[in-house]
Amino acid sequence: MINLGSYLGISFALFICGILVMIARKNIIAILLGIELILNASALNFAAYTKFSNNNLDGHILSLFIIVTAAAEAAVGLGIVIRFFQLRESIHIDDAASLQN
Amino acid sequence: MFTNTLFLLSAALTLGGAIAVVYSQNLMHACIYLLASFFGVAGLYACIGADFLAATQLVVYAGGVVILMLFAIMLTGGTGNNINRYGLEKIAAMGNKKTYFFAGITAILASLIVLKIIANVLKDQSTTAVITANAPTVERIGTLLATDHILAFEISSVMLLGALIGAAVISRPRKERHD
Amino acid sequence: MDYTFWTIAPIVLLPFFAFVINAFIVKKFTKLAVAISTGSIFVSFLFALRIFFDFMNVYSVGYHIHKVFPWFNLSSGSHVFEVKMGIYIDNMTSVMLLMVTGVATLIHVFSTWYMHDDPRFGRFFVYMSLFTSAMLGLVLSDNLLSVFIFWELMGFCSYSLIGFYYEKEGAGNASMKAFMTTRVGDVFFLLGILAIWSVVGNVSFVDIYNAIAAGKFNGLTISVFSIGVPVATLAGFSIFMGTMGKSAQVPLQVWLPDAMWGPTPCSALIHAATMVAAGVYLSLRMYPLMELGHLTTFIAYIGAITAFGAATIALIQTDIKAVLAYSTISQLGYMVLGIGVGSYNASFMHLITHAVFKACLFLSAGSVIHSIHCQEMPQMGGLRKKLPYTFFAMLLCCFAIAGVPFFSGFVSKDRILGDALVMAFNNPVYIPVALLGFGGALLTAFYMFRMLFLTFLGEPRDHHIYDHAHEEHLGWNSNIPLLILSVFTLGLFYSGSFTGQGEVNLFGSRNEWFSTLIHKPDAESLHHYAEYKSEDFGDVDTRDKLELPKAEYDPNHGMSEEVAHHVHYIHHVGAIASVIIAFAGIFLAFSMYVKKSISADWWAQTFVGWRRALQNKYYFDDLYIGKIIQKGLIPFNNFLAWFDMGIYDKYGVDGWAAVNRFAYTVSRWFDNTVIDSGMVDGTGWSVRAMNTILRWVQSGKIQLYFIVLIAVLAGYVWKLSF
Repeated sequence: MINLGSYLGISFALFICGILVMIARKNIIAILLGIELILNASALNFAAYTKFSNNNLDGHILSLFIIVTAAAEAAVGLGIVIRFFQLRESIHIDDAASLQN
Repeated sequence: MFTNTLFLLSAALTLGGAIAVVYSQNLMHACIYLLASFFGVAGLYACIGADFLAATQLVVYAGGVVILMLFAIMLTGGTGNNINRYGLEKIAAMGNKKTYFFAGITAILASLIVLKIIANVLKDQSTTAVITANAPTVERIGTLLATDHILAFEISSVMLLGALIGAAVISRPRKERHD
Repeated sequence: MDYTFWTIAPIVLLPFFAFVINAFIVKKFTKLAVAISTGSIFVSFLFALRIFFDFMNVYSVGYHIHKVFPWFNLSSGSHVFEVKMGIYIDNMTSVMLLMVTGVATLIHVFSTWYMHDDPRFGRFFVYMSLFTSAMLGLVLSDNLLSVFIFWELMGFCSYSLIGFYYEKEGAGNASMKAFMTTRVGDVFFLLGILAIWSVVGNVSFVDIYNAIAAGKFNGLTISVFSIGVPVATLAGFSIFMGTMGKSAQVPLQVWLPDAMWGPTPCSALIHAATMVAAGVYLSLRMYPLMELGHLTTFIAYIGAITAFGAATIALIQTDIKAVLAYSTISQLGYMVLGIGVGSYNASFMHLITHAVFKACLFLSAGSVIHSIHCQEMPQMGGLRKKLPYTFFAMLLCCFAIAGVPFFSGFVSKDRILGDALVMAFNNPVYIPVALLGFGGALLTAFYMFRMLFLTFLGEPRDHHIYDHAHEEHLGWNSNIPLLILSVFTLGLFYSGSFTGQGEVNLFGSRNEWFSTLIHKPDAESLHHYAEYKSEDFGDVDTRDKLELPKAEYDPNHGMSEEVAHHVHYIHHVGAIASVIIAFAGIFLAFSMYVKKSISADWWAQTFVGWRRALQNKYYFDDLYIGKIIQKGLIPFNNFLAWFDMGIYDKYGVDGWAAVNRFAYTVSRWFDNTVIDSGMVDGTGWSVRAMNTILRWVQSGKIQLYFIVLIAVLAGYVWKLSF
């Protein structure tokens, strides 16, 4: 039961959920939640491949770096969100459309 | 047996949490579901012997990122306003049928891509791969981080410092100039 | 003492940084700016003092510091074009540095009192800092190019400070006049630099000396109006023209009296002590070239005419600063005369002594002007009781400039006159030079004491002014600088010994440190410079000072015993003559303006023509403005204007316009039909069509971008898999 296929399936499902959240939501923080889901999916993939191919732990290291990057991204991203909220009184993604036209 | 049970529980928690994040109409709840999903992923890590990863997942995600997000949600007023500055109605912050429709299309496209890739990968993968027994990984990860991956490790530390300072600078309220 | 960047560069850089800082803060923090300015020049003075005492300790003729760094290098192949900047310090430089920084410090201190009520108090110090740093840079320069750069910087500061009170029309005109007149000399100076460069391939002093010693200039001529002129003569003359402009020698002397429009401390620093002396300094540095170009007679005549002519004009001036201005021109004439008669040491010594006593005289005049708010001497008189310290300082300085024994002016001027007399005895060509020199000395003593008596002695002539004069009190920044400067008018400091080479010997000639150390680079001694080595700025000093031979005073100046005896005899005659002349001048002034036993009015009425000529400054201004500018330049200008309007405009420009008009008609048609309707509008239409599509795509909505991204990726993967 615990094999590569099942892990890839779970990570695939997580990825699709992340994409759904990213597109369907209009709240910036909710979009960040989706991004976290996608990052988790990829990290899970790496760990699974380590286990089921050569077990030399490089996948674990990559997963660790993904977690670190995700943490940094969450800090900066949320900082931007807070600042954006101070400026626009909104966290609606369509308000962040200054590139329009 | 214990491992199988743990795997099933974790998988259920992960997928359930993720799907709940997709469908929840309350951002706070969504965040809590995300937390559950993260716990599940930690369990999945534990099932394949990645003990250090599981611990990190719990500490960083459950203990750090989600808390940060909860704070951000509370600071910005939760689920969000659906009225824009000019008093016109916007698309609901948590999405409506139209956005879900587009999201569905995108998800189908993305799943096609991913499935295609996975199919290619699984085709080459020998089905009889040797599965080694689980062993503690902390010591080996420590060694690897301090030897083979030292450059990446240092770069990520600098990146974290940059993120720390950057987040503080970005979100600091700027003084209004009165002159 | 080691010579590194940190012990030399601050001398120049501190005042320069003071200038840069003050330029920004002067409006808001005037007092701080003044303090920075004065403090920086004082610290420079300490650095200069350190260098001076190091040189006095070594006490050797050949001791020098020469450090260079490459500035830019445009060499290609065998063609070498490398410019190096550097500093060159020898005994002369060390004395000069001490004089400039010391006088500048005292003048800065005095200015904090004198300029205090001025609305542009701070700005004055900004200019003064820039000026001081430029002057120090000039003194430290090792090559003519950087000398020229600092020379022009000083010219700019002089221009700004003469026009300091720019609300007055006279000040503006005077600054313009000073700038334009010195420009004549500066252009020649630049040509001289180019001429030297073409021969030597470098403009460093030491390299020029070496080139002269190696005979690189021999036989080189250049054709000027089809007359072959030796390059050395041409280059020497051009550089001496620079001196004539900067040091206000006839015929370019007209700007200096007008320069008195500037504030009095700036007159003291720039137009008496340092900048005008820089011209003489340059000629001293280039002395071998002058000698090689056979220019010494010419230089001696220029100097003698200037010295005497300016002294005569000073006789009738009533403005206290004008008297000092003409006296400055006259004294600069003596320095140039000294160069001309080969009196190198004495000329340089006169530069230093003159800087000290003339700065003091100007500051005293400033003190008087500050006290009574008036510059006209006929309205003064009897100010001795109100301004006792100023009177004392001015008295000492007048003794010095008149050449009374034991004062510095006697030591230096007497030596110049003695050498002139020696030359006159050897060569009759120099007889007029010597006569003009001695005549000028008589006039100098007369007009300086005339100024002193009219200002300080006798009864007050204008009681209103006298009664309202401010009483003088001893103040650290009002009259202490005057008193300090006046102490240094004693001859002891220049001829006696305080170098540790023996006991102080007031009357002997054995301890002549000044003339022992200042080394005349004449034809015999030029070969020494071949051994002079330059170092990079970063290098550690490898010079072993202890191996240098101590300088010995040679009373015969390298001449044989018989010649020296002859020369000494003439010198004694000259000394006695100049002492008599000095006292005669003082006595004349005394009997004319104090005792009134000789009537000044009788002289004025008897020599009406002379008086008119003097009042019109020998018609130089009339000549330049009336003849050269109005008769020569303006008609030429009118001709050019006629050519421009009548020929060039009428046929050239208007004819071209007709051609253009035709071309315009053709091109308008082409423009309207082809370009505008076809291409421009077509482009606009296509752009509009594109933008209708792109505007939808470029919505600024990130999620749309992401959807498109996924769709494109999907299409790509689909394409790959089939």
